[in-house]
Amino acid sequence: MHGVFKFRKIGQAVIGLLCTALLYSVCLGGTTPVLGIRDKTPDARAFINGHMVISPTEQFDNGILIIKDGKVLEIGTGIKIPDGITIIDLAGKSIYPAFIEPFGDYGIIDHRDKKQNKYGKPVYTADRIGGNAWNEAIHAEINWSRFFKPDNETSNELLSQGFAISQSAKQDGIFRGRSCVVLLGDGLPNDLILNSQSAHFISFSKGKSVQDYPSSLMGSIALIRQTLFDIEWYNQAHTAYKYNPAQKMPEFNSAIEALSNISTDRIIIDAGVKSPGLLRAKSLLDEFGLTASVIASGREYCHINDVKEFASKLILPLDFPEMPEINTFADELDVTLAQLRHWESAPSNAMVLEQNDVKFSFTTYRLKKKETFLTNLRKAVKRGLSEETALASLTITPAEICGIGDLAGTLETGKLANFFICDGNIFNEKCEIYSVWTAGKKHELKALPKTLFAGKYELKVGDDKLMLELSGKPSKLTGKVKRDEWSSDLKKFDIDRNKIRFSTPIDSGKNAVTIRFSGRKDKKFITGRCVYANGLEANWQAIRVSELKPDTSVKDARKPEAFFAATTYPNKAFGPQDLPDQKDILIKNATVWTAEQDGILKNTDILIEDGKFVRIGTEIKAPSGIMVIDAGGKHVTPGIIDAHSHLAIAGDVNEGTHAVTPEVRIGDVVNPEQVNIYRQLAGGVTACLSLHGSANPIGGQCQVIKLRWGANAEEMKDKQAAEIIKFALGENVKQSNWGEKYRTRYPQSRLGVEAIMRDVFQAALEYEQDWKKFNALSKKDKKRTIPPHKNIGLDAMVKVLNSDMMVHCHSYMQAEALMLMRLAEEYGFVIDVLIHNLEGYKVADEMVKHGAGTTTFSDWWAYKFEVYDAIPYNASLMAERGVLTTVKSDNIDLARRLNQEAAKVIHYGGISPEEAIKMITINAAIQLGMEKYTGSIAPGKDADFVIWNDYPLSSYAKAEQTWIEGRKYFDIESDKTIRKEIKKERNKLIQKIVEHSAKNGTK
Amino acid sequence: MRIIIYTLLIFMIVSLVQAHDYVPGKIQDHPILLRGGTVYTVSDGIKENSDVLFNDGRIVDIGENIIVPENTEIINVTGKHIYPGLIAAYSYIGLVEIGSVRATNDRREIGTINPNILAHIAYNPDSEIIPSVRSNGITTALIVPGGRLITGTSSLLNLDGWTWEDATEKLNVGMHLIWPAVKAVKGYDDKRSLEEIKKELRENREVLYEAFDDAKVYYLAQQADASIKKDLRWDAMVPVFDKEIPVFIQANDYRQIDQAVQFSKDYDFNMILVGGRDAWMCPELLKDNKIPVIVAWTQALPGREDDGYDLRYSLPARLYEAGVKFCMAQAGGGWSRNLPFQAGQAIAFGLPKEEALRALTLSVAEILDVDQNLGSLEVGKKATIIVSDGDIFDILTHKIIYEFIEGKKVDLNNKHKELYEKYRQKSL
Repeated sequence: MHGVFKFRKIGQAVIGLLCTALLYSVCLGGTTPVLGIRDKTPDARAFINGHMVISPTEQFDNGILIIKDGKVLEIGTGIKIPDGITIIDLAGKSIYPAFIEPFGDYGIIDHRDKKQNKYGKPVYTADRIGGNAWNEAIHAEINWSRFFKPDNETSNELLSQGFAISQSAKQDGIFRGRSCVVLLGDGLPNDLILNSQSAHFISFSKGKSVQDYPSSLMGSIALIRQTLFDIEWYNQAHTAYKYNPAQKMPEFNSAIEALSNISTDRIIIDAGVKSPGLLRAKSLLDEFGLTASVIASGREYCHINDVKEFASKLILPLDFPEMPEINTFADELDVTLAQLRHWESAPSNAMVLEQNDVKFSFTTYRLKKKETFLTNLRKAVKRGLSEETALASLTITPAEICGIGDLAGTLETGKLANFFICDGNIFNEKCEIYSVWTAGKKHELKALPKTLFAGKYELKVGDDKLMLELSGKPSKLTGKVKRDEWSSDLKKFDIDRNKIRFSTPIDSGKNAVTIRFSGRKDKKFITGRCVYANGLEANWQAIRVSELKPDTSVKDARKPEAFFAATTYPNKAFGPQDLPDQKDILIKNATVWTAEQDGILKNTDILIEDGKFVRIGTEIKAPSGIMVIDAGGKHVTPGIIDAHSHLAIAGDVNEGTHAVTPEVRIGDVVNPEQVNIYRQLAGGVTACLSLHGSANPIGGQCQVIKLRWGANAEEMKDKQAAEIIKFALGENVKQSNWGEKYRTRYPQSRLGVEAIMRDVFQAALEYEQDWKKFNALSKKDKKRTIPPHKNIGLDAMVKVLNSDMMVHCHSYMQAEALMLMRLAEEYGFVIDVLIHNLEGYKVADEMVKHGAGTTTFSDWWAYKFEVYDAIPYNASLMAERGVLTTVKSDNIDLARRLNQEAAKVIHYGGISPEEAIKMITINAAIQLGMEKYTGSIAPGKDADFVIWNDYPLSSYAKAEQTWIEGRKYFDIESDKTIRKEIKKERNKLIQKIVEHSAKNGTK
Repeated sequence: MRIIIYTLLIFMIVSLVQAHDYVPGKIQDHPILLRGGTVYTVSDGIKENSDVLFNDGRIVDIGENIIVPENTEIINVTGKHIYPGLIAAYSYIGLVEIGSVRATNDRREIGTINPNILAHIAYNPDSEIIPSVRSNGITTALIVPGGRLITGTSSLLNLDGWTWEDATEKLNVGMHLIWPAVKAVKGYDDKRSLEEIKKELRENREVLYEAFDDAKVYYLAQQADASIKKDLRWDAMVPVFDKEIPVFIQANDYRQIDQAVQFSKDYDFNMILVGGRDAWMCPELLKDNKIPVIVAWTQALPGREDDGYDLRYSLPARLYEAGVKFCMAQAGGGWSRNLPFQAGQAIAFGLPKEEALRALTLSVAEILDVDQNLGSLEVGKKATIIVSDGDIFDILTHKIIYEFIEGKKVDLNNKHKELYEKYRQKSL
């Protein structure tokens, strides 16, 4: 990676002449003509007597640092200082390598036009200029060094926090372009740019692009994925064209070209603040074998085990949450336990990362005020982050991330003279920075006291000898005189440059008189006159016998600050401490709704081992040590499966911009942290299909999840279930109810819906043929032939055509349902499930013949025109005709009452309870490709079940326990305990805030 | 021949029209006896094996083995359940046919201060929604205008009638007010900043205060001199200050409720709280000020992340235990047909069954001040009665077999049943 680095030798020294050319730098000059008199002030300096921290692992007292030509010439102890070098005495001070900001936009001028989408009308295309990418959020071709210009205000903010270098790019867009690494401070950009082509910055947010696509997080991820494939294709296509120019010339694309070496270039990804963002980035990187530094959310401590797996470095913002303001009872209402916990726990994040060996670098990114950086850094150290790691995270780690590890990060000969001088340990709350030096150039924050008085002195007043002690900060010295056990504080103590005056008695006892001292300091000596009370004068002298050392080693005395917020995952109310244990269980005497042929069995036992149902029968003997649940009077059903849900999705449910978006995947944006997952468990739901929305005819790929509350996104996915894509028809896709702005996207009628779908199916068919042709070529010919452009959306559509991906299609009216079935038949595949399908009862026979199942609302109707003929007899009528039917929620709340929704099918259509329970269990399992291992209570299947207090389809039924794979995820009794604990913890944290505000105000 | 064809055509047209509409029940012209059911009187307990006799639209007698006049129509309901008709305490039935079709939506007027709006005048008695709701036992509904801040006055209508006039149970039941939100929340696609939203919320409250100030100014002037020029808006508010009608204030958040109660005291009017999600936090406030609650949206997600999953299911039970006067509403149009099931859920989460029934009948009648006519099965009250095959609160057993509104027999057919029957006949 370091190979990328190009160092600009503008006006800088030639290394190698270090020993001989101590005073005379070989000034090579630059390209910029000098107007007026040339500045040739020597820049060499020697710093002595300081405490020198040269790297996270090495520091010493009484060090000497010699700098010259912007570089460290030498550093160590006992070094001979060449004559003629200006010496700066740092007695009582410390030197640290200056910090490096790995992620920011310091000094970047945005040259692009400020576009505004004034009318709010959808924008489907980007301005195409100079071979740019099709999407405005992709501008990887921009080298941000071209737009770097020092900016004093931000520079000073960063300098004040000890930084000397920033890696910068405009933080806008998805492929943002390449960052540059620059020195802070004023000067010619030519002299300040250390690395003009550093990392590729990538994010999940399209920023200020006015183009509609992508509107969702999953759209952003799909766009990144497609672009990464485009790079591969682009490289291959151009290589093939070179071999064989007799083909159609492949396109030029400046953005893709800029990314052509991405596999070896450095990458930084901003994955957003939502906690699982990091894991989303990880999955994407793993898919392409890439590594990158990722901007952390600050919540890594909540799921450290996942973060540990992450091989790359993190870039950690220190934007701790503000303390929630709580003055009244009403204020408490708006604050969640999650907020309270994070407020208390956030400063410990870095410590947790360190304890788990996760390498990270700090950044000022996301801080509202950069001036709070050091304060927050010190909070992190106070929580137990070691100073060594803290320093590494500010120096050598960010140096690596910026690709300047050989140039900065430590104070070593040949490296940049980037350091700061402070009065002690930088991690101490009161430590102040005097100056920051960037490449040997001083930026003063606060004047260094010229004369240092602090120290222990032997005080001679006439012949009398006693001790004088001056201690504290140079700006706020205090002093005392001491004789044996006796001591007295100095009064009227004042220091002005090298002059000192004070009054003090020098004896104990009643007769002691106050003597007035005044004097001057010269090196180790203070000499002057003193006046006694009787007007007599005398000489006095103080000789410094020892210097007071800067306060550098308080580390051991520092105990990590305690805090008591619990950490669970998700780190919020009802988040579990751990995943529930898998248990072997025997359920006795239950009424078992098998959702199988044998229907409802009374007084039945169920044996569960290793997360599976083993036996269902009567009088099963309990194997020894097994947990026995007496379910007498209770009912057991299979776990409810919601065939249509939008649970656990981060960001928009729709990539509703383009009419065709098979490239997006809900699987990329599973959000396991929604409390509604738990609430649905409380309604007996164990699995669901999380669907893309219905904003476009060809929507996105969906994700089957099991509601393993407490697991991470990957673990929540049911990877055995079918791959499913969402299609949609009718009012939504023709944008009937979207408002006046939306009148331009094709299609605007049901007529066009068929046309565009047919076009996509045809394209997929031909795409597959193109690939087959290409893949049949010899290895040699492949190299000479431009491959078909890989399109991840069409890849999904090929799976659809080959029946490798199920189709669930949102549909309302009978005509469109019939249209789609006939169209699919033409292309040789089946529409597996018609969703909603509120006129399904009108085409039930046609559906059976085609092989389509359905998932429908029990009784919704009349909310739009296309559902005016919806009837609550829909499910029963379709089922009567032989359609595989389920009732579903499509609603986070309603999902908690799917048992009642199934009961409504009985209420209206009079089906049997055995059939009704299937409509929310096994039938859904079939529709999601899960029937082999869940959906009913049968030996060998996953032990996904619910224990009910009452007849499960009754309005009076409550789910008492919900189990998935032999693990109990919900228990109505434990729930009561959890609520009490939540209340307790909330009160405790709120009390802490109240007391904190009483003491310190609301800051 | 031509005449025959015309006649046929006319006949066809007529039958088509009839197929899509349901004729309102005839005014009761003979006594009817429901014989041998379980009578849920609400006001006087449950009477097994009892008869209910009604005539001229009023209940004449309840008891065992009632002796009936000669021309009595006797309906045997042995083993069936007899309840007072259920009242939808807050709805927009008849104002909205299809939510997303603008032409069929008359629920709200523009502007924020609309006290002179009358909800019932747009009530479409031929709405297909009405029979669908009615067939689940809802006989009567308060029709409420929607909108922002002061939305107008509501009327209580029977869900069977030729015109809104014919369907009228009680006009001008109360003034309606939607309390401004207190928590600034950015909606989807919301271009306003959080600060702007906060400002707007504050301004909304100011607007309310100003409106009530002006209305009061008008009221005092009008009391002194009835001939002053009529401001239609403030004139509609006169009965509020006379305490002839209450103000229904929709408020869910504790702070909204607190502010609204204070508001009702400041301007000295009778208040009814609607929604009341956080009402369980302040039962004393409500009791001290004699404010009843129309609990709505109990089948919904809890309002806050830290809340228990069943917080809203159990709200009716909490209010009952705290001694707050309340009734339940679905607060919707067609959704109101699920009202009994919503009550069923409340029963599962702690509300006694008889209280659930009261919350859909007598309590509603009391809160709407129509309990002299409706809400219980009592001699002298209107014969607005439903008969169910089983327990009406359990979806599995709820099955309305007879329904009477003021003694008029209600057609229980609806569009859904007809489409069902039609497509059952489909064969290819």
